[in-house]
Amino acid sequence: MADDRAVGELERFLAERADRLMRTAVLLTGSREAGQDLLQTALERLLRHWRRFDGDPEGYLRRTLYNLAADGFRRQGRLQRKLLLLRAAAPPPADPIAEVDLRDALVRLLLQLPPRQRAVLVLRYWEQLTEAETAAVLGWPEGTVKSAASRGLQRLRELAGGWQNTEPQLNGERA
Amino acid sequence: MNTDIEELLRDGMERFTAEVHAPGGLAGQAGRLHRQHRRRLAARATVACGAAAAIAAGVTFAATDGSAGSGVAQARTVAYVTKRVENALAGENLVFVGRSSGKLWGNTVTWAYRSRNRFEEYWPAADARDRVVNGQRLWDFPPQDRGLPYLAQGTALVGGKLVGAYVTYFDHRYSLSRLQPQPASACSTNAALAMGAPLIPTTHWSAFIGATLACGAASVTGHVLVDGVETTQITGKPITVRLQPGYAKTVHAKFATVRWALYVNSKTYLPVRLDGSTKTFGGTAGSYTSSSSTNVRWLPATKANIAMTMVTIPPGFQQVSSVADQ
Repeated sequence: MADDRAVGELERFLAERADRLMRTAVLLTGSREAGQDLLQTALERLLRHWRRFDGDPEGYLRRTLYNLAADGFRRQGRLQRKLLLLRAAAPPPADPIAEVDLRDALVRLLLQLPPRQRAVLVLRYWEQLTEAETAAVLGWPEGTVKSAASRGLQRLRELAGGWQNTEPQLNGERA
Repeated sequence: MNTDIEELLRDGMERFTAEVHAPGGLAGQAGRLHRQHRRRLAARATVACGAAAAIAAGVTFAATDGSAGSGVAQARTVAYVTKRVENALAGENLVFVGRSSGKLWGNTVTWAYRSRNRFEEYWPAADARDRVVNGQRLWDFPPQDRGLPYLAQGTALVGGKLVGAYVTYFDHRYSLSRLQPQPASACSTNAALAMGAPLIPTTHWSAFIGATLACGAASVTGHVLVDGVETTQITGKPITVRLQPGYAKTVHAKFATVRWALYVNSKTYLPVRLDGSTKTFGGTAGSYTSSSSTNVRWLPATKANIAMTMVTIPPGFQQVSSVADQ
């Protein structure tokens, strides 16, 4: 059946790229479960148009992935984001053995950003695309991408500043 | 820190995802989701004003079967039932509320009052995840979506005008359209198609029942107890339509057959239940039947009840040009 053929071809397409796509989806959503859900949704959209692609469908798939994420990835994203916010808002664990450095903290703080800002930052600093390329993927004007990236980084700096300020206290408690 | 936050972020993202690997079976699961999507499309193909309008341009009448009532006895029955329904609804100022559950559908609720109506479909409850038909699970949806609205369709007040509205909650989109007139005839193919789904084709039941009985599109087929209430059963003639080529290609089915039965209270002659089913077949997707049973209540036309008959566009939703983009 045509469907089975498409699924077979999709399987071959994913053989080499699934891990990278999954990682992107996890960064966009903040968890493996939500990332897998997002990737599944994007793959289903890809299957709808599978016959259209003579060449590599990765560009379409990535655009779908990012646009779904930027749109808040459907309604259920709200609940997940709220949970993530609660998690991220909680102070870092006071476990002296836990080594939480700024790099890890930044990623957790990234999940507090609105979906559009997060999508732009992932495209810019994970995919390492230029502002023009990011704008092309999302179908937004370049200026919108620029301002979203700028606001996102600014917000991260603010959040990271707050996080850093808690560190000495924690260190003091440890001491 | 501020100068190299980009670099730290990049490193952090690498570390955060270093141990992430894609699970097996992604393609197969995407295929299953895709088939579910097509089935929902197929089932929705025949829904209502929307469906009637959406496929009106695309369906071509293929065949009818079943027996049409005829003769003096049938004419008397028609006149009697029509008169009783007319009497029941005459001078009444009631709001129609229909609630349904179906095999392919989630639960639905329909509110209607004169030219206003709102049809809302919900994601199925938790136990729907386990429902299997033809070896395939019918629904696959995030657990947190259980019981939440999936789509709304009907009339909305936009800029002081009554327009058609279609809202999909799962992707935060909506589209507006000119208000579709009621089907030209209760005996039309479109009216019959609408009766196969939870959405209702009319709010003028007495006229609708009278017309379908008079033209032979339906006949009185008996008396049945519905939830302990004695009802008169009116059964529509099954009809089969050929789906528009483009649409048929999308849902991988060439034909749809619609069946319906309406039960009116034998004393008040107000409709109390509508059973409908739509079967799509004749393509690579195989044969699928979606059936629904809509239980009807009639409420007084209070301000609050009338307000329920309108679709509301949630703030922040994105407008798209047509239902096809949703």
